[in-house]
Amino acid sequence: MSRSHLRFLLASALAVVALVVAACGGSDNNSSSSSSSSSSSPTKTAGANNNSAAEAPATKGGKLTVLAGTDVDFLDPGHTYYTTGYMIAYSTQRTLYSFKPQDSVKPVPDIADGEPQVSSDKKTITVKIKPGIKFSPPVNREVTSKDIKYAFERFFSVNVGGQYPGYFNMIVGAPKEPTKGVKPISGIETPDNNTIVFHLSEPAAVPFAAALVMPITAPVPEEYASKFDAKSPSTYNTHVVATGPYMVQNDASGNTVGYKPGKSISLVRNPNWDPKTDYRPAWVDSVFMRTNASDGNVASNQVLDGNNMIFEGNPPANIIKEVATKRKDQFVQVPSGGYRYFPINTTIKPFDNINVRRAISAGFDRNAARLARGGKFTADLPTHYLPPDFPGFDEAGGMNGPGFDFLSTKNESGDMALAASYMKKAGYPSGKYTGNETFLMVSANVDPNKAQSEVAKAQFEKLGFKIRLRLVPQDAVYNDWCQVPSKKVAVCGGAGWFKDFADPQSMLEPVFAGYLIPKSGLNNNMAQLRDPKVDAAMKKAALLDGDARLKAWADIDKMITGDAATIPFVWDKTTLIRSKNVNGVANGYYTDWDLSWTSVKQ
Amino acid sequence: MAAYILRRLLWTIILLLVITAVTFLIFYVLPSGDPAKLRAGRTPSPEQIAAIRHQLGLDRSLAYQYWDYVKKIVTHFDFGNSYTNNEPVKTLIFDRLPNTMFLVLGAAVIWFVVGVFIGIVSAVARGSFWDRSLMGAALLAISAPVYWLGLVSLYLFSDDIGVWHIFPGAGSYQDASGFIAKAHTLILPWLVLAAAFAAIYARLLRSNLLDTLGEDYIRTARAKGLSERRVVLRHGVRSAITPVITVLGLDIGILMGGAILTETVFNIDGVGRLSYDAIQRGDLSTIQGTTLVLAFAVAIMSLVVDIVYAFLDPRVRY
Repeated sequence: MSRSHLRFLLASALAVVALVVAACGGSDNNSSSSSSSSSSSPTKTAGANNNSAAEAPATKGGKLTVLAGTDVDFLDPGHTYYTTGYMIAYSTQRTLYSFKPQDSVKPVPDIADGEPQVSSDKKTITVKIKPGIKFSPPVNREVTSKDIKYAFERFFSVNVGGQYPGYFNMIVGAPKEPTKGVKPISGIETPDNNTIVFHLSEPAAVPFAAALVMPITAPVPEEYASKFDAKSPSTYNTHVVATGPYMVQNDASGNTVGYKPGKSISLVRNPNWDPKTDYRPAWVDSVFMRTNASDGNVASNQVLDGNNMIFEGNPPANIIKEVATKRKDQFVQVPSGGYRYFPINTTIKPFDNINVRRAISAGFDRNAARLARGGKFTADLPTHYLPPDFPGFDEAGGMNGPGFDFLSTKNESGDMALAASYMKKAGYPSGKYTGNETFLMVSANVDPNKAQSEVAKAQFEKLGFKIRLRLVPQDAVYNDWCQVPSKKVAVCGGAGWFKDFADPQSMLEPVFAGYLIPKSGLNNNMAQLRDPKVDAAMKKAALLDGDARLKAWADIDKMITGDAATIPFVWDKTTLIRSKNVNGVANGYYTDWDLSWTSVKQ
Repeated sequence: MAAYILRRLLWTIILLLVITAVTFLIFYVLPSGDPAKLRAGRTPSPEQIAAIRHQLGLDRSLAYQYWDYVKKIVTHFDFGNSYTNNEPVKTLIFDRLPNTMFLVLGAAVIWFVVGVFIGIVSAVARGSFWDRSLMGAALLAISAPVYWLGLVSLYLFSDDIGVWHIFPGAGSYQDASGFIAKAHTLILPWLVLAAAFAAIYARLLRSNLLDTLGEDYIRTARAKGLSERRVVLRHGVRSAITPVITVLGLDIGILMGGAILTETVFNIDGVGRLSYDAIQRGDLSTIQGTTLVLAFAVAIMSLVVDIVYAFLDPRVRY
């Protein structure tokens, strides 16, 4: 038992004594604290633990056990969209391109044979496919480009429910709404078994090519999957076949008997995987993932004190502190590849005034908001939007950012004098807001979002704003409030935007482009920022590639930061813990353990 | 008696129908997430949301949705599919129900036996050292939250992260196969879950028994020359225990809906955990399914308690 356990027991014993002495006799409310699961993980620049285990010597064999608090969303590569699902998808499926653990910026060809060929008008992308890659049993045949075409087509079927069509709906002939059944897409051609060509309706080849790392590009055999896809919803999720080094254990008919929803997933080696065609080492022989390790504290301690185990995702905050101080060889951290922020509605007076917004930013105690999510070890304070270890981060100024005084590294806890000076520029001579309106702030009713919104409310009130904080269920925060312009939410009590692939356009455009604010439906631009200069720059930068692209989007990042339409308050880091005898390797793309690289020390 | 049971069963069916209607309405009236939007991903178009809503049948009238829901339950015992992973809710619940039943019934046996024993000893030896000690311990057990007690017991006695490696740790239940092996892994959860209940039952029985032992008919029994053991057990406890039986039935019924904290700490895959996860994710169909299971369990246990009453108390007749 570790010292922290002893301290916990001692504190607990004292608490009981206190209870008895108080002689209340009533039972507790039994609230299960624990599992705050705030994201974290160190960035190289922040001096935290890096992912050097990826370079450590490893041995083949053994069984790895993963303890996870939640199940995968889906095993179906056409449907999965969340981290746990990605962790399984990228060890069982091979996408056109993917990321090695050590580099989450530059993808490498996976099923693809070389870089994508982009036409000069940026409307056509041609990808060659490696020969010799086979599907797992019971399909057992070689993958062709037609399998990838079918994967795209089924993605748009309502039965499959692909969750990110916005990245691919510029393919010529791509459905504008989900289809009944799987329909052919005219803009995808397969001139031979090893070539796939995408025709786009607009010159968007660069971000499109960057998105070819997503699970939608994992091949799906039509002759096998179509009967499952014909059902509503598709049952391919429980009959999925693999192309990667591992497969979900299945029977002769393809039933994934190794998947027990909400309980466990058993991965075994894919007998048809040829290591000569892949860069993954696939060290362990099998993986058993328990997807209902419901108590984060208990499961984390089982991992830290046990053998052959890793913990999926962030452990509770107390465990993060423990590993950071006492078990430094049992964790890694990776940047989460995103930012959390408080959007300020720029269509509501006086927030339409840039100096008012800058004043709020200047006086904002962002360190307090960060504390609500776990503190310094779990996140860095942003100075702009493009996050660490992401394309364009360095060009945008790195950790120091573009140099705005209201969002500088020196201003962690709020500078009220600076805030007052901006308020005076905005026409408030007292340095504070003097209006009588009450502004609506909406947040989730559970921590850490609740706690961070309470911090935000206090920061606005410091400057004289009256805020009514409305706490609603987590699910309703965005869908029913912050993303609905007609609700007139002045401040959203917390939002986050995280990468889907390594391209700066995908990190900034959906959140800040004025031209993407829809007339109806959900709006990701929660600040409703409509800056003509930003919009024009985005449209221009979308057509660029290479270093010019990074520079252009870094400049846009600076413009947006200057607009102060939101208060970015954390760049999350993900902390991952492991048993001592596990050589854990994290993948910076999906910010979780990479099962194809993690090994057990023999 | 048969007519009474039949009448109660009919009322149970009506009660369940009312509960389905109430849970159904709650999720439409109260602010909650839209399942279609939740499933639509990060940047859904209105068309995409509409298509998913149609697929889930959410674009139908409220009355039709309710009718369709009840019809499926009655004809096929079909609660629909989970909104989060498409799995049939019936499978999700019935996969987990045996685990919850094993946990709850095992713990109930412990807390009932221990609670009754302590209650009798304390009442009979009122004011003694044993009475004070046992009631003090009961107060301690009532004051200790299940979640805290579970963590402490694991950190002390579990074979993986404990100081003394005595009992199987969290998650071991799922790895065990066979009745004996599974029962072995449940010893610690049973004790933790039973602790507070045993203490409450002990205090309840002690109080009832003290009142009963002061009744005239007890004095009469003693005057007739019956042994003290017979007076206490046959005449005193039999009367004093009926309120305890009522509470026992309701407690078991409620816990069948899920001993959430115990299941969470010890990683037992039960209905409570399923219910909690469903609430977290706004998974309406699963929440409705688990709510019905809970209501059904409470209704049935209430009926069982009433039947047991007739055997315990000769004055009760239906």
